Amino acid sequence: MAMTTEGPKPASRGAGAEGRLQTEEMILNVGPQHPATHGVFRLLATIDGEILINAEPVIGYMHRGYEKLVEQRDYRQITNLVSRMDWLSGINNELPLAMAVEQLMEIEVPPRAQYLRVILCEMNRILNHLMFFASFGAELGAITPTFYAFREREDIQRVMEATTGGRMHFGFFRPGGLKEDVPRGFVDEALKGVRQVIERLPDYENLLVGNEIFKQRTIDVGVLDREAAYSYGVTGPIARGSGIDMDIRKDEPYLVYDKFDFDVCSAPNGDCFDRFWVLVGEVGESARIVEQAIEDLPPGPIMGKVPRVVQAPAGEVYVRTENPLGELGMYLVSDGDRRPYRLKIRTPSYSNVSALSHVLANTYVSDMIAILGSFFFVLGDIDR
Amino acid sequence: MTRPGAITPPEALDRVEETLGPWVEEHKLNFGAVDFICKPENLVRVMRRLRDSEHLGCVFFTFLSGVDRSELGEGGGGLEVLIHVYSPEFAIHVTVHVPVDPAAPECPSISGIYKGALWHERETHEMFGILFPGHPHLTTLYLPEDFEGHPMLRSFKLPTRVVKAWPGAKDPEEAAAGGR
Repeated sequence: MAMTTEGPKPASRGAGAEGRLQTEEMILNVGPQHPATHGVFRLLATIDGEILINAEPVIGYMHRGYEKLVEQRDYRQITNLVSRMDWLSGINNELPLAMAVEQLMEIEVPPRAQYLRVILCEMNRILNHLMFFASFGAELGAITPTFYAFREREDIQRVMEATTGGRMHFGFFRPGGLKEDVPRGFVDEALKGVRQVIERLPDYENLLVGNEIFKQRTIDVGVLDREAAYSYGVTGPIARGSGIDMDIRKDEPYLVYDKFDFDVCSAPNGDCFDRFWVLVGEVGESARIVEQAIEDLPPGPIMGKVPRVVQAPAGEVYVRTENPLGELGMYLVSDGDRRPYRLKIRTPSYSNVSALSHVLANTYVSDMIAILGSFFFVLGDIDR
Repeated sequence: MTRPGAITPPEALDRVEETLGPWVEEHKLNFGAVDFICKPENLVRVMRRLRDSEHLGCVFFTFLSGVDRSELGEGGGGLEVLIHVYSPEFAIHVTVHVPVDPAAPECPSISGIYKGALWHERETHEMFGILFPGHPHLTTLYLPEDFEGHPMLRSFKLPTRVVKAWPGAKDPEEAAAGGR
């Protein structure tokens, strides 16, 4: 499995002057249903023997037209739409929308609501990353990580469910604050959940990261270089796996992220292993943030002063937040109505996956699923 | 806790003015981002400058999309292409507005400068009907090939609410009327 970072060269197609087998290109259709994709995703792969010459992602099977739908709905209703974009990070999706409206309306969010937002977002990030931990293992043929990850997920999932009433689509953030305060016992249960994750994280690392077979399948496979990552707008764990230290929580702290001590995980090589390594590392950092936020959680109201009808004054604002999979940005154009005039949603998976064809060119067919899996994308986030 | 080489928004505005001066109009700051209007004919030059200038270094491509401002009220304007790029080195946000002719919307492709624009331009093409000369493969991204119309234009109405009104109170002020 020795593979250079440049990838193998396509086999010669002429008659075997050097004694090679004669091969010809063929097109292989992967998907639209494939277990390695989180949603409906198709890949048109041109292969020559064992080598992928070109791979063109085909998306749009789940396009729901959110950017059009939101123009017909008021801000409270949109919360529940955007929650369904990246269904593994529901509560994180709601955040930039609430923040965009708050910035235009100049609403001040009370500290308790800000802390609770951080706690819920980070718990959701743990849920998201554990899911990809599970699925990436399964895609490489290891089923055990799934059981490990789902065991821990369930504890945190239960806290989220008790708080919001939902397991995937939470609908909990409002412009100005939260829908309601957290239930009794939240602090203990949440602490128990994240402490368990911290305690068991070494197991996770040993299970896959230290596994020789796993290393063979991921190290130096599917290398994404820094320049391409910038040029395609790749963010999140994928970009940080390529040596880019961008993390909006650190770079432009929103909410109360500047009050916590946490590190930005990044790795230099840009291969599947590094992307996965960053993903696992972020679970621990998120758990640390939750612990600190719960310790400092202030009492007080959970809603700012918000008029009964939420009407953002005319203006434009671009708000970006660090979603579990990368930069989620919303460009809101308001004309002073209850509905957005235009809401451009910049989702992380969309930009990340657009770099796939660049990474997949000139790799082995047998590495394709490993590379696909290491891009950690959700189709609902791409298609919107 | 900001990025190490970050500069303040007013400084960023000065730098953009210095580097791009004659090619851009109405530069201003909007919520910390440098915001300006750029004519389509200058766009490629401006984007290349933004990316390659060592004072700006906007190598990160955030998004490209469109806004149809035809119903935005007075001074709203028409159709525009909206581009956002970011400089990881200086933490500069740049929003570029490119007004295009609504009758024959055309904007030069920047996919040769930012590869991420490949998909964003295809999406903007199908949703707003804007052509991007220079794009290598300007086909539909989300919509079926035989789809008629450009859904994100304001003139494209969503039929469901036009045909049948929502049955019930959907706003606080309607609730008194009893909804159903």
